[in-house]
Amino acid sequence: MAREKIHVGMEIGTTKVCAVVAECRRDGEMRILGVGESPSRGVRKGEIVDFKNATQCVHDALADAEDRSDYEIKSVWLAISGSHIKSLNNRSSITLPEETTITAKEIESVEFKAKEAGIPKEDVIIHSVIQRYYVDGQEGVIDPQNMMGSKLEADFHIIHGVTNRIQNAIRCVREFDIDVEDIVVNSVASAQVVLGEQQKQAGAVLIDIGGGVTDYIVYRSGAVCHSGVIAIGGDHITNDLCIGLRIPITRAEKLKIEEGSAITSNIPAGDKITLKNDTGFSGKDIDRQMLNMIIQARLEELFTIIHKRIQEVVPERLLGAGILLTGGCSLLRGIREVAESVFPGTPVYLAHAQSVSGPMSAFENPQLSTCIGAAKYAQAVHAEMPEESILDRLKGFLSGRI
Amino acid sequence: MITYPRWLDRDTGKEPVLRLLGIGNAGVNIADRIAVRASLPLETVALNSDQQSLNASVASQKTALGPMTTHGLGASGDPEMGLEAARESMSEMRQSVQGADVVFLCAGLGGGTGSTATPQLAELARANGSLVIAVVTSPFQFEGRRRSQQAKDAMASIARHADAVVHFENDRMAEIVAPRTEAEETFAACDDILFRSVASLTRLISCPGPMAVAVPDLLGVLRGEGGAFLFGSGEADGGNRAHEALEQALRSPLLERGKLLHEARKVLVHLSGPRSLAFAEVAAIMQEISRSTSPTALLHLGVSVARDESAPLIVTLIGHCGTASHGEKAASIPAAEPVRSSPPTLVAEESVPPTPSASTVSEQAPSKVIPLKVKQENLPLDPIDRGRFEKVEPTIVEGEDLDVPTFLRRKLKR
Repeated sequence: MAREKIHVGMEIGTTKVCAVVAECRRDGEMRILGVGESPSRGVRKGEIVDFKNATQCVHDALADAEDRSDYEIKSVWLAISGSHIKSLNNRSSITLPEETTITAKEIESVEFKAKEAGIPKEDVIIHSVIQRYYVDGQEGVIDPQNMMGSKLEADFHIIHGVTNRIQNAIRCVREFDIDVEDIVVNSVASAQVVLGEQQKQAGAVLIDIGGGVTDYIVYRSGAVCHSGVIAIGGDHITNDLCIGLRIPITRAEKLKIEEGSAITSNIPAGDKITLKNDTGFSGKDIDRQMLNMIIQARLEELFTIIHKRIQEVVPERLLGAGILLTGGCSLLRGIREVAESVFPGTPVYLAHAQSVSGPMSAFENPQLSTCIGAAKYAQAVHAEMPEESILDRLKGFLSGRI
Repeated sequence: MITYPRWLDRDTGKEPVLRLLGIGNAGVNIADRIAVRASLPLETVALNSDQQSLNASVASQKTALGPMTTHGLGASGDPEMGLEAARESMSEMRQSVQGADVVFLCAGLGGGTGSTATPQLAELARANGSLVIAVVTSPFQFEGRRRSQQAKDAMASIARHADAVVHFENDRMAEIVAPRTEAEETFAACDDILFRSVASLTRLISCPGPMAVAVPDLLGVLRGEGGAFLFGSGEADGGNRAHEALEQALRSPLLERGKLLHEARKVLVHLSGPRSLAFAEVAAIMQEISRSTSPTALLHLGVSVARDESAPLIVTLIGHCGTASHGEKAASIPAAEPVRSSPPTLVAEESVPPTPSASTVSEQAPSKVIPLKVKQENLPLDPIDRGRFEKVEPTIVEGEDLDVPTFLRRKLKR
């Protein structure tokens, strides 16, 4: 059996480190060969805080993935996140000499100019996504190549992050002589597999709630118009429960997964959950009303923050495809109802990776959306012309070339 | 609200008086615009020989020039009559410049009143020790050679007395508007540019900021010899304001869509914005400008911050693209510019009010002025409960530490 191009998507998450080995066919189909996972240590809020431990987890996950897919991993596409990742929209324009036809060169230079946006010195641009072009002020040009004009303008969505923090994640993987082909921001990766072209055109918000961070990305008329990271995730809920119910953190995590829900209505008064005693824990009765209230308050706040930020860039009525929730935390009961209450009138769905084949357990798991997305992103990039990778840019940045 | 430019503060400790004198029909127009539209710390005075125009004016002070000479009917473009009117009203004119620290003279040259009274006012204001900046327009070419000659003569004598002359050619300004635009709109657009330039000069001088513009720098740019005066101003708010405001400023016809900026030898960039104006935005604008200017050009940067949170970001570009070889125009400005005895400076250090020595004195002698001790009170909060996020970088969104459980912050329990 001749294998087609194989890409490995990897994510060093707060809860788990995982690697997805996927076979990418030339017709755009993708099949998952194997998924390697390892519980994460040394990662907080999507960023590495304990290098040694994190490296060990990366090793375990890669070894697991190799075992399951029967493939020797040489390079990975790394999904990154963290509160340092910011985005902005920037318009750039170039004036063309007398009546020129726009070629790839002009398009390149307008993109280059857009990248000169005022980002902090310690940051590096991770993605610059084209939103739309304007030729001589004419709006909505999708591809200006071969058009005539005297002024070419372009709106770009630029995602940037702190160079050193990105380097840390890359170094973690490099420890084992495995190359990082390129990096991709969590939200961009998830959008690759969770959102279809139609949803992007209709306008959609993808919210990926992970263990430590929440990544979101907003599409409007097929183009990214906003993206961001909020350093709040499932860990925060666990921590809230730990503080609010006075139980150990491991118990809180278990309780959240087994009993937790964000629905506070219709709970009979005095409904209790009995936690059995354990070594170092004497057992406790938990008031369900209290449990759900704590979870609901946290999630409602998180959605309210996102709602506020999205409102500034795109009116709700333009979100035809609604809101899609993915990531490990989207498995929490009642999360959809909370989102619906914060985004009134906008449909909310729970989503996972689409248009991939392989073991059902892999792509139907919203926890793996980002990881699968990173592999899909690799496929998409390879389908286009090879371009300078972010790593070259990083190298250039470090050697002072930029 | 009037703020204290530091160079004035140092000497007298009182509010600087910025006064705008609109002279002649064109000048009164500008004064009206300023009085109506801008919330600038400017007193406006309308001076005209035409009573009708004065009656319609909304300036805070009005002075009729030569009521006996012209019978309130205007000088009708006759400089002789204008001169006579000015002579008749010398005492009123003297009064109108009295007590002003900075005097803006706005006039359209080439007519009877503006061309004759403006030089006189410049001289009077200068004798009072005011900083004199003249903002004048020269007539359209189609108004005839006689008018343009009158304007040229007036320019020369104004330049002799004023600290700086900002000169707009009406011909160039008319290019702003599309060729088929209605005449009224064209004139309004010209007036608007004048208005904007006065407004931004006022902001430049009066607004405090992290980076104030030194008056000598401003005068240096304004006084450039010969060539064309460059002026561009743009304002915008919203997420992309830095880019939009600059784009608007560069589109200004007086920059010939940015082309003239390449030739400028001195450029003053002034940014005024709300407190949320980010350093990155300033850097981005300056970077963009330095790309459009020649590498040898001298750039001056000023940044001021408005108290109003909703104030737009305003980018002002002032420059002079003079070439030394531009002999004819250079001659119109006298080579020997009288030097002011005490050059006013807006140096930043002077803004630090308590000098170190003063504070040590107050420690020794408590009877003297004791600096107000501001005690920071503790917010009535319980010890913050961050649990497992104790040692990691906090998640702060809009000033709230989101690592603290939501239900505690919202007081849903206990």
